[in-house]
Amino acid sequence: MLETLSMEDKVVVITGGGTGLGLAMVRAMARAGASICAAGRRQAPIDAAAAEVTALGQDALAVSTDVTDSGQVDRLMETALEKFGRIDVLINNAGAVQENVRKPLWEITDDEWNFEMNVSLTGAFYCARSASRSMAERGKGKIINVASGFGLRGGRDIYMYCCSKGGMIQLTRVLSFNLARYGITANTLVPGYIPTESADESMGNTVPRSGDLLPIGKLGKPEDVGPLAVFLASNASDYMTGEMFIADGGGLAGGIAPTGHDPVVPLEV
Amino acid sequence: MPVLPEFSLAGKVAVLSTTGGDEAPFLAQYLIEAGASVFVIARTPERLEQVLNALERGPDSERSGDKSRGIAVSLADPGGVRRAMEAFDSHFSRVDILVNDARSMLARPMTEISPDEWDEVHSRNAKATFLLCQAVGSRMVEQGYGRIVNLISELAERGMINGSAFAASQAALLSLTRSMAVEWGRSNIRVNALGTGWFSTEDLPPEDQQRELLVRYTPLRRKGHPRDIGPLLVYLCSESCDYSTGQPVYVDGGLNAHP
Repeated sequence: MLETLSMEDKVVVITGGGTGLGLAMVRAMARAGASICAAGRRQAPIDAAAAEVTALGQDALAVSTDVTDSGQVDRLMETALEKFGRIDVLINNAGAVQENVRKPLWEITDDEWNFEMNVSLTGAFYCARSASRSMAERGKGKIINVASGFGLRGGRDIYMYCCSKGGMIQLTRVLSFNLARYGITANTLVPGYIPTESADESMGNTVPRSGDLLPIGKLGKPEDVGPLAVFLASNASDYMTGEMFIADGGGLAGGIAPTGHDPVVPLEV
Repeated sequence: MPVLPEFSLAGKVAVLSTTGGDEAPFLAQYLIEAGASVFVIARTPERLEQVLNALERGPDSERSGDKSRGIAVSLADPGGVRRAMEAFDSHFSRVDILVNDARSMLARPMTEISPDEWDEVHSRNAKATFLLCQAVGSRMVEQGYGRIVNLISELAERGMINGSAFAASQAALLSLTRSMAVEWGRSNIRVNALGTGWFSTEDLPPEDQQRELLVRYTPLRRKGHPRDIGPLLVYLCSESCDYSTGQPVYVDGGLNAHP
């Protein structure tokens, strides 16, 4: 039964595959035997990711892609198909967190709203639309959308990020319902706070530096999502579709709140 | 076939509690395949025998034969839990994993469910799980490590005609999962729920299954089999499942995403 967790002979296209959580997923999937096509805007990080995959003995490709341009997305999928002959798994991991991730409602410009919705949600839609064509022809495929706990809860002055991530969860549900007949599943990976270089840079002081307010008392590490990606991308999750896998240190279960709140109240007589 | 070491349960001791359901032998087998030792608590002697027999015949029988033990006892009162833990203690010295499969079914119209039936369903599913989690969880808190997985039905999230008593018991398990996760989070204990849709241990071809309307309504057009949740169960029981807690993960062929 455990052999279904192997990713031998699987071809994965992952956006945002050069840094942060994407890179952690690439490493875990390559160790599990997958071939990887890493996409990202900047060439250097995806080249480095591809080199790591090659060093592990797997095939790799790095394709510089701006996911907000559907022409570039189509070319990404074509390039992957030319090299590997098929796409087994698409991971929509690219996301944009602007420096002004927290901004009061009346100060958000049209461009700021559109930029983030385009990268995080529209980009995932373009990728799913493009990659699912060849998957449907083969009658087999998996789409994994990476959302966030902010896709399920609101955050103070966090408009675009919450809305685009909530949109990812709904995109998953609609894809799962409509693509099931073609043998394609779709699921959402929902990480909570996991410090990464890019999140630290762009979110500045707005991200928590410790896990003090989380039920488990610590923040996640990028490596925590590695086995999750392998599970969702391998045959081990074949009967799972339209669902979420949440990894957030208990933030959604109990809330991100002072954990010292532990009242003891006797039962009323 | 490279399977990551993150999915190993080698050296871990698991308690598997089942109130019934033909999936129990499969679940025990998967835990053993991943390297764990398993102590089975079944509500009836027949179920215990079925699980232990399956393990003896299973592919890992050489390891499981002398490593798996069990007891048939009702966990609905503290005395039963005490007897179960005493039996466990005669074989093992620590417990790393607790898997609760408490899904005793009752389907009756709302107006016909007797108070005794309501109590029985909730005592087998919710109360037994609560009492066992209390007993095993206190040990986990003491040792500063543990993984708890509660198998639940997706009726924890949805209503069903004639399903009121059962569905409410499953929602109770989901709620219990969340509170335990939060309360024991800093003791390095992770508590998650594994939710299933429509499952069967029969291996009928999809064409035969699709004669049933509910199968045709399921987006993936087949019923689930215990093997569909084996790898997820193993992951949720593993050390590497460190950042997921207090969450249900549903494996249901797409039913929950459905209108």
